[in-house]
Amino acid sequence: MKRASILVLLLLLPLALFAAGQGEEKMASIRFWYHFDNPDAAVTPLVQKFEKENPSIKVSPEFIAWDVYNQKLLTSIAAGNPPDVSQIKLWWQPQLVEMGALLDLSDYLAKWPGRTDVFDKIWDLTEYTDGNQYLMPLQMVILYMYYRTDMFNELGLKPATTRAEFLDLAKKLTRDTNGDGTPDVYGFGIRGARGGHDWWGTFVLSSGAEFFLPGGGSGLTTTEAIAANQWFIDLYRVHQVSPPTTPNDGFQQIIANMQSGKTAMTIHHIGSSKGLAEALGDKLSAAPVPKGTKKYWTSFGDEENGVLAASQYPDAAFKWASFLATAENNAIWQKSSGQVSINKSNATGGGDRFLKATTDSADFAGVLPAHPGTAEFVESLWPTQMQRAFLGEIGSREMMQSFADHFAK
Amino acid sequence: MKRKTDLFPYTLLTPALSATVLIIFFPIVQTAIMSLFNYVIWKPKDTRFIGLGNYLRALTDEVFWISLKNTLYWIAGVILLQLLLGFTTAMLLNREFKWRGLARSLILIPWVTPSVITALMWRWMYDGNNGVINDLLVRIGLLNSYFPWLANSTTALPAIMVALMWQGFPFFAIMILAGLQAIPGTLYEAAEVDGASKLQMFTHITLPMLTPILFTSILLRIIWVANSMDVIFVMTGGGPGYATYTLPVFAFIRAYKGLDFGYASTIAIFLTLLLIAIVAGYVIRVLRSQEALR
Repeated sequence: MKRASILVLLLLLPLALFAAGQGEEKMASIRFWYHFDNPDAAVTPLVQKFEKENPSIKVSPEFIAWDVYNQKLLTSIAAGNPPDVSQIKLWWQPQLVEMGALLDLSDYLAKWPGRTDVFDKIWDLTEYTDGNQYLMPLQMVILYMYYRTDMFNELGLKPATTRAEFLDLAKKLTRDTNGDGTPDVYGFGIRGARGGHDWWGTFVLSSGAEFFLPGGGSGLTTTEAIAANQWFIDLYRVHQVSPPTTPNDGFQQIIANMQSGKTAMTIHHIGSSKGLAEALGDKLSAAPVPKGTKKYWTSFGDEENGVLAASQYPDAAFKWASFLATAENNAIWQKSSGQVSINKSNATGGGDRFLKATTDSADFAGVLPAHPGTAEFVESLWPTQMQRAFLGEIGSREMMQSFADHFAK
Repeated sequence: MKRKTDLFPYTLLTPALSATVLIIFFPIVQTAIMSLFNYVIWKPKDTRFIGLGNYLRALTDEVFWISLKNTLYWIAGVILLQLLLGFTTAMLLNREFKWRGLARSLILIPWVTPSVITALMWRWMYDGNNGVINDLLVRIGLLNSYFPWLANSTTALPAIMVALMWQGFPFFAIMILAGLQAIPGTLYEAAEVDGASKLQMFTHITLPMLTPILFTSILLRIIWVANSMDVIFVMTGGGPGYATYTLPVFAFIRAYKGLDFGYASTIAIFLTLLLIAIVAGYVIRVLRSQEALR
């Protein structure tokens, strides 16, 4: 009898453990890391909606400041305590895949009904080089040219469509309006600090420079690429169409300069349109960036959600990531982020001048290479070398060679 | 009984020593070990022991030498500026005048202002487009047009040094003021009777009497200033180019932008060695003064 009881208990044990596991699944608690340009924006309404629809999952959102987001994410992974779901930039993906930190979502996505409602181009851009899909799209922006209509109208100018026209415009818009002998309005606000690679790419990657040549080797050190880079450096050093503070100017400065009338044009995305339009009203408009000597190029500013491989609740984590990517919820998210929905069913077809500049630029928007060195290129290499070139410490060739060497490692 | 008496001071020191070992000594040892490894955080498979490889890399790295040169320039410049301003302030505050108590309290404001606030405040004051410093200099005719102080490789580091001078001079002022108040007035009275001039009294009484306090203050401040990177990082991020790279800034950028923790640890060890040399001077000085007292 005693032996039979033990046998029954042993047989029941796996069932008990299974039940316990089921109980645990019912109590799935996931940590979600996110960032917004506007820290006042909240994800609480979305979390409440999700938890109501999925009572077995609890989402704990954590706001992480953008400046330290990447380093906090990577160090949390190295320390073995990453979040379950995290907002991720496309150019972080190679390092995260190299670390084995991201869960391959391909199987989940194959069964996800919302997949067809996400723009096809986003799937193309976010698919990793190994053919797997590690990221769930969340939002998108495409960079375009902001310009001051009051200054354009005053001088009878129209937005440039080519690089040559753009330089001509920038020169005309750089003026000494107070008669003190030095310019007080500049044609173009360049972001020389971190994040300014988008300004650089607009003119250099559209005029013959490529990170990698189709046949192998670097396309950053060709004669054409070095000349394109020199052209960009000359905007500051020779033509002086951007403010003297350019080497250190970051996001705050380029936006403040547009608002104050210090600059007449700059590049950014729809995320800053609300604040700029509030300050400038009809004095502000937007247009696609001009064409380089070879093609158009502007930056596709993406944001995705990744499910971390270390998550104990990958199903629940995917459910949250996919919840945010469905049309209704994504529209709510974009109200907070000020960016553009990834869903076809959210596309309005019309929209304001900023949305129009975004959609008009969609065909030629590109991304930086899916290479493990891209993150460091963006974070520290590009700003340092660009600043040195702006200050005349290095030339165009040396600058481009340092990039080529970096990506050759 | 005697043995018990000998152990007593060590028992009292144990909590402080334990905390020091855990919070300071252990991370230092860990950093030293990490500096011997190729440890790039996103390449966990490539982590391997490379001996002095990172040290040799630093010695041939142009950025390391720029950072070391900037660090020495930074320490010397900031300490000198803080000392001069602190000394002058202390001499003024040692005089009798109305509201002296209030003045003594107010000079502490820069010292208690958080570094990030100090850095942001000065960054906007230096702003090349809207900064108040440019505005004042143009108004009084010293400049024809606004100058990009922080975007120019020649002026960026000196500009930050001025900001740090403002933040740190109260430390010197308070320390020197305490020293000045400890000098017996009878010494000055005797010197006056002997016909000594103000300058002679300063060089033969004030300065010698302040030497121990100056020495200690300078050494302590050197250690703090050498380690400080928050103001630099917020004001320029190390730029433009490498113009404001000091060793702590370089180590931070290698660690958190390049994610190269092995090499960043090596740079931190070089900075530690530099500071150990300075602290050794301090300890020797203290030991000698203790010997002299016996």
